[in-house]
Parts: sequence; C-alpha cells; structure tokens
Amino acid sequence: MFIHNVNPSIKAITIILSVLLLALVFDPITPFLFIIWIWFLTIGVAKINWKKYLLYFSPFLIFAVGMFWSNLIFANEPINPNAAITLFGRDFPTEDVNTALSLSLRILSFASLSLLFLLTTNIVHFILSLMQQCKFPPKLAYGILAGYRFSPMIKDELFLIRSAHRVRGVNRAKTLKEGFNQYKRFAVPLLASSIRKAERTAIAMESKGFTGSRDRTFYRQFTVTTKDWIFLLGMVAVLLILIIMSWQLGYFKWYNGEL
Amino acid sequence: MKNWRLKEVIVMATLSVVFGVIYLAFLPIGGVLVGFMGPIGYEPIFGIWFIVSIIAAYIIRKPGAAFISETIAATIEFMLGNALGPILMLVGMIQGIGAEAVFAATRWKIYSLWVLMLAGMGSAVTSFIWGMFQNGYITFAPNYILAMFVIRLISGALIAGLIGKVLSDAVAKTGVLSSFALGKEYKKRKKAA
Amino acid sequence: MSIPRIRVSQLKLFYEDDQKQPILDELNFELKDHENLLILGPSGCGKSTLTHCLNGLYPRELDGAMQGDISINGVSANNFASGELSLQVGVVFQDPETQFCMLTVADEVAFGLENKGIATTEMDVRIHEALGLVNMTAYKERVISTLSGGQKQKLALACILALEPEILVLDEPTANLDPKAAKEFIQTLDQLQQKKQFSLIVIEHQLDGWVSLIKRSIMMNTNGQIFFDGILHDGINQHRDRLEKLGIWIPRATKIALAIEKQGAYFFNTLPLTINELASYPISYNGLDKKKTVKADKRLLLKARDISWSKRNTSIIKQTNIDLYHGQFVAVLGANGSGKSSLSKLLAGIQKPSRGTIHLDDRPMKNWKEKDLRKKIGYVFQNPEHQFIADSVFDEVAFSLRLQEYSEREINNRVEKILNQCQLTGFDDYHPYTLSQGQKRRLSVATMIVDDQSLLILDEPTFGQDAHSTKQLLHLLVERYNQGTSIVMITHDMDIVHHYADRVLVMEKGHIVLDTTPEQLWNYPVGKLNQWQLELPKEVELKQLQQKDVGYVHT
Repeated sequence: MFIHNVNPSIKAITIILSVLLLALVFDPITPFLFIIWIWFLTIGVAKINWKKYLLYFSPFLIFAVGMFWSNLIFANEPINPNAAITLFGRDFPTEDVNTALSLSLRILSFASLSLLFLLTTNIVHFILSLMQQCKFPPKLAYGILAGYRFSPMIKDELFLIRSAHRVRGVNRAKTLKEGFNQYKRFAVPLLASSIRKAERTAIAMESKGFTGSRDRTFYRQFTVTTKDWIFLLGMVAVLLILIIMSWQLGYFKWYNGEL
Repeated sequence: MKNWRLKEVIVMATLSVVFGVIYLAFLPIGGVLVGFMGPIGYEPIFGIWFIVSIIAAYIIRKPGAAFISETIAATIEFMLGNALGPILMLVGMIQGIGAEAVFAATRWKIYSLWVLMLAGMGSAVTSFIWGMFQNGYITFAPNYILAMFVIRLISGALIAGLIGKVLSDAVAKTGVLSSFALGKEYKKRKKAA
Repeated sequence: MSIPRIRVSQLKLFYEDDQKQPILDELNFELKDHENLLILGPSGCGKSTLTHCLNGLYPRELDGAMQGDISINGVSANNFASGELSLQVGVVFQDPETQFCMLTVADEVAFGLENKGIATTEMDVRIHEALGLVNMTAYKERVISTLSGGQKQKLALACILALEPEILVLDEPTANLDPKAAKEFIQTLDQLQQKKQFSLIVIEHQLDGWVSLIKRSIMMNTNGQIFFDGILHDGINQHRDRLEKLGIWIPRATKIALAIEKQGAYFFNTLPLTINELASYPISYNGLDKKKTVKADKRLLLKARDISWSKRNTSIIKQTNIDLYHGQFVAVLGANGSGKSSLSKLLAGIQKPSRGTIHLDDRPMKNWKEKDLRKKIGYVFQNPEHQFIADSVFDEVAFSLRLQEYSEREINNRVEKILNQCQLTGFDDYHPYTLSQGQKRRLSVATMIVDDQSLLILDEPTFGQDAHSTKQLLHLLVERYNQGTSIVMITHDMDIVHHYADRVLVMEKGHIVLDTTPEQLWNYPVGKLNQWQLELPKEVELKQLQQKDVGYVHT
C-alpha cells in the first residue's frame, strides 16, 4: 500500500513533474518504457485490479489512435524525407512515424500517470493535504469540497429535469437553434438550483464558525515524511534513467533533432 | 482570499460541478470525434472548458474571478474523474490567466458581450500555447496548427463568451442572483424600465 | 436579575432593493437561560432573516440596513469577532441537503470542531459524544449522501451540538421531512433537553409536534412585526382566526376544535392543542363535512398488468397490477423507498416498465405517441421548478397550447381561464422562479391541466407548503376532480387522504399490499399501520378515543 500512503500533495507534484519532463520527449521508446513502469507500479505494487484499470484506460486508446494518424498525415515537413516506412499501403517518412508514435504514447503515458494518482488517492484527502502542505486557502479548499459534494445531486437533478420537460411536451430538437434552446432549458434550472444550494451551504458553513482563516486545527492531519521524498525522487530518477537509456541507445529525441 | 465571500467560492465550485456533469455527458462524443478526426475534432467544443470562468466573472465581477473560478473548475473536473489528473489544476490556471488578462485590460469594469467573447478567446490563446507544449502539437504542419488555433478561438468566443453570457442572463431572470453583481444590475435595469 | 441569553431590542432590517418595507419591524424580545421559545410566522415574515441576525451572519453578509441591537449574554453582537458568535448560537437549517461540506459523517462533525480550534487529539471523543446525543454513533463512518433526510437533520444537529453552544436556533428543521422523520427529530430534541442544558428557539410555520416541548411563543405577521409574545396556549386562543388567515399550520386538533365551534356544537374557553386534550371535552363529534362526492363511474382509464421496474439491478417495482377508473381520487401511501414515486412514473409513461404492460384507454401505452399521451396524463413533479421551461407565467401555461398551434386568441382565453382557476391571475408576466412556493406549485399544476388531461398524477404536492397554499391547491384539485379528472396523489398527509381520497393504494417494498377505501384502511390494526409508516388522521383518532371512553363508561 506504499503508493496509497504517499502524501497526496507530493504524489500530485511528482505526477506534474513527470508530465513536464515527458512533454520534452519526442521519441517513442522513452514514453513506452515509462508506461510499462507505471503499469508495473499501478497493478504490481498498488494492486489495482487490472480489469478495472483496463476499463478506465481504454478511452485513451481512442485519443491516442486519433493523435497517431492525424500526426502522420498532417505532420510538419520532415528533415530527412528519404527514409520511409510503409504503413497501410502508403509510404511515410520514418521520422514522422516515430513522432506520431511518440505523441500518441505520450497521451497514454499521461493517462497512466493520472490513473496512478486517481486510483490510489482519496480525492478529499488530496484537497485537505493541499491546504496543509501547499498553503492552499481554506476558503477555496472547503468551497471546492462543498461544491464537489453536490455532484451526485446535480446528476440526479439533470435526469429529473429531463423527464420533467418531456412531460411538458418538449420535443426532441431538430435544428441547431432548437438544440441550443433545449440545452439552455436544461442548464438554467440546474444552474439556478445549484446557486441557491451554494448560498445555503455557505450560510450553514459560516454558522459552524467557518471564517476562512488559516488558523484552524485538523481532524485528518497530513504530513510529509522521508518516504514521500523517496517516492518523488525515485519517480523522477526512473524517468531520467529511462531518458538516458534511450539516449545511449540512440533513440532519444528532443523536438526537431537528436540530442 | 480575504475579499472573497464564501458563497462566491461555493457558487463557483457548484457551477463547475454543473458544467462538469454536462461536460461528462458530452465526453463520449468528444472521444469519438478525436478518434476519427484527430485532435482537431476536439477543438469545436473546446470552449466549454472556459465557460465557467466567463460566467463567474460576469456574475461576480471581481478582479480574479475568472482566474480563481477556472482553477476551481479544473480541480473539480479532476475530482469528478477527468483523466488528465493533477496536471489539470495547472492547465486550469493557465486557461484562467488568458481570460483574466482580458478582464484586467478593462480594469474589471466592462462586461459587455464583446469583452466576454474576447475573454473566451484569451483562454483559447493561453490554453493553445500550453497544448502545443503538452501534446506536442508543434510537430504538426503549420497550416494544421493554424486551423486548430482558429477553431479554438472561435469556440472560445462562441461557446464560452456568447453562450456563457446568454446562460447567465437567463439565470439572472430567475432572481437567484439577487445578491451578486449581475443580479443587482439586472434589478436596476428592470426598475429603470 | 440574571442577564438574558438573548436580548433583541428595536431590531429593524431592510433589504437593499426595498428601503420602505422593512423585513423585520421593531422586534423586541428576550430569551432567558434554559428557556424554549417558538417563533411562529407565515412564510415570508422574515423568520430566516431573524435567524441570520441571531447568529451573526447579518449585518456582515447583508445587502441592506440593520438597526437596533441584539445582545448575546449581555454583549452586543457587534462586538463579536467574525465566526465567534456562531459558536455561541448554533443553527440547524431547513434543507437537509445543503448543510454539509464534507463527504462523511465524522469529517462533517469535525469541520465545526476544526473551526473552533479544538485539538486533534480531542476530536474523536467529541465526535463520538455529539453523535451519541442524537443516537447516530453507528453512522460515524458513513457517507452523508447515503443517509435519509431525517438522519441528515439529526447529523446537522449533532454538528452544532459538538460546538456546545448555549443557544440553539432551529429554522424550520422538520419542514423537509416526512411526518415520521419529523416526529423522530422532535423526540430526539426532547431527549436531548433532558441531557443537556441550552436555550432553544424554534422558528416554524407549523405547530404540530412542538406543542409538548415548548410553552412560550412569539407570533409574527407578514410585515415582520410581532403581534403576540406569551404562553403558546393563550396566543392560539387569542388569535385563533388570525393564525389560519396568515397561513400558519395550527395543530390539527385545534383545527377540529375550531370546526366544532363553527358548527355551534361547543365553545372552548381554551382551545385544545392535542387530540387527547380535545377528547377530554364532552363533545359529540360526527366528523366534518366531507368535500368528496363518490361517483360511481366504472369506466376503465388505465390498466397495468404485471409491471416490474428495476434501477441499477435493484428491483423497485415488483409484478404489480392496477386498474384506474375515470373520476377517482386515489392516494398512494407507504414508507419512503417503498416505490411510490417509481410506480407513479410508470403509470404516467415517464418510465417504461422492464416487464408487464400498461393500457391507457384500452390501447397499449407503447403505441401512444408521446404528444398524445401528454394530453391524457399530467404529471406534477415534487419540485415545481424542474418543470418550468419558459420565462413568464403566461408562456409557461401557453407552451403546450402553442405546440398544438391554437390561435393566439384561443390561447389567451384558455391561459387566462386556467390562471384564474389556479389563483394566479395578474402574475402573467412574472418569471416562474420568482413566485412564492405555493404559487409555483399551482403553476406547475396549471401546466398539467391546460389540455384537460383526464388523469393527473401528483408527487407529494402539499409537501413543505404552508396552510394557505395547501388549502388553495386542494381546492383546485377538488374542482378538477368534480369536472371528471382522475387524480392520483402520493402523500404522507393522512388528513388529506381522509378528506379527499376515495381510494387508497398502500405500497411496501415495491408491491401494492393494500387497495381499498380510506375508511377501511383506518380500521386496520395500529401495528399494521405503523409498519407502513401511516398514522391515523386526527379526526379518526379523536373518534376512536371517544369510543374508547364511551366503552370505558359502559363497562
């Protein structure tokens, strides 16, 4: 349960750092190896059920595929147009195929990273930790939590409004304008009721003595310990090692050129 | 955060939830669009990402409303399970800066349709610059990049700016905004009429 | 003399947009230590505004002006730092859905403790204790959204109790609860007063349930003025006519007593507030005039056979049969979660049964076009706002007429007629959202009767409404009923069932377990009724009490 127990803020910073580093990479090997590493952590170490994982992961495959082919077709002028690979019965410059592959793998590596975070972190704890470790203002933190609490209610309400409007005889929209009006008719009651809910909640919270001051105690306390730093440094180190490895093997590429 | 009322913050958060829920309903369509059309398929609906900041700024009318609300919206979006994860908070801030810059240029005084549309385009600009970096769009052909950018600008202006304004005005008519800047303005106008 | 817990003097409050009409007008009152006070007033008398003044939210968050002074324990409210006053005056609000910001019960109770700066190590004990006071210790780790409305209100109470305030203000705490949960909440409060010492203010627009707990009452009118401050019993006695006019729910027993007076059968020197009190008077009572005229119309309107429905793999409605006839007034009863709403939506064709068939006018429901179906069946949702789609009251009612392409003149005529019937004349240009609760409810009914629908289904239409709007709504329904519309109404209000329904369906766990007349239903043993979470209408209770007495005398 090591990954579950890493301080949520540190975990988030780790993910963000990794994303920033990965965004500098334009070869397919580095993100590919990194994805394998993250999968190992998620399924092997954090013991996330792989069936569940696949369910969350699969939508990104569509994005990745879209990225791949459009990057192939709409790529910038290649520097070395002679080397070619044949795909789907057409010749493409090797360079372009590599870049396209890299970018779609990049999407998948981002997805694996955020899933690693989402599947091992209690989201409320993350917000609480932001407040305790990252000086996030309490007014924002508790305001966000109060709003987040409404999400199931708002989902139910959207469903109710839909059927309530059907009873009124609202037809299925045929033109774009009708479509927009219908969207507006759904959105307005939803927005109006959520604004009222928000106001009432604010009053209730202030009635419990909430002022937004940082001077408060915490029921759930989050701390940063050595293990959290080990996680952060370890993750960044692995990514750097992967980058160095593919550099040594001659794969690593910055944008528009090799290192 | 001193001059922010708690209820303003919670309103921004619940608005984010509403659009998050509506947005999630659209997401499968977005996925299919990207699958078939590549990243450009996503651009026409990209403006929905900025709508919360436009609505919040238009309703609350305080310096920082666009920036803070977009940060909140991104955080909520990520809590609701959006797959970009923690990086989304950073993205939200970047988008928020674009819109906030436009409102700042009017010294947070003008909230006409044009300003709202420009603010939507402001978010489009900053978010696009980030997208170039994050998704490596820079490797695409210049024409393709330009097309993406123009579509995103239009989407920012129309979906965030125009629709944001129309929805806010419709909500103001219900009277629930009576303690917010937009609701007060609406009451004044009604009295004058 | 000791310092009063609360002293309100010359309190006057205006909202920004209306400088002439004060919301609260020259309020003066005191609350002593350990005193219980009931502030009674109709909706819109400024009760909630007063709550906000008492716990320090106003004037800080007020867009308007506040004059006069409120002092807590002898210290003027102005001298408290923000947040400090709230810790001395704890408030439980009306809406159970909007009082929390955390996801779990323990975190929510902790939230207040954190604000107060209680040490982390002390919190668990305090949380445990507070939950214990409202009998909810077992729910400590639960997610709040899985609790029932009644449990949420008790949790809200626990959150406040954890802060150990000296004064507790409850702002219509039971208005959004069903009768059983409301009763439980008041019982919890009653037990609490024996364990803990605090002063209590209950702000309400209805009296049932509170009578035994609270002796003193302040009564307010729609202009935000106090017109009575004294013993509750005396207040009701003195202002018996005024209260009803204001739309305050007086106790049902008192209502019956008033009706008896009106019949000239007896005059009460002090009006009874409970049924037991009323039964002790030497009155012979034969029931009030019933508004219903039973019509023997046996034409079948709707026939459901073997219908089942499930949601997310849980079966909600199980193999149910119903025949609905023209000209019936049907009440659908049962505990929360017994499937009443789901059944009503199936009957209205809003949801399709997963199995079984429904016939409307001998034609299978699935062969009806949506458009034609809506002209036959109207459905009034619990929250009227969900059904509003237009920007004005007129357009709201005209909407379906316009879809049918009537001439503008015809539309005008029909809309005006319906608005008149629903007592909404003169509100044509109002935005539906800006109407009062009662008006909203009647408008939602208006949109559902504009096509002369032959079946009108309503989901708890009187829930949370004040006495006045309830009366108006029922009047409207009876009028439709007399014109031949069949009415199917989900309700928890047994007095309404008793007076208006000619047929009752009792639901339990997705089945209709009983299909009979109200008169027969009241003859069921109390144990059975309790199991279905039904209670006797007050009139029936009175009759049974009297019969018991008579029986006692004879033996």
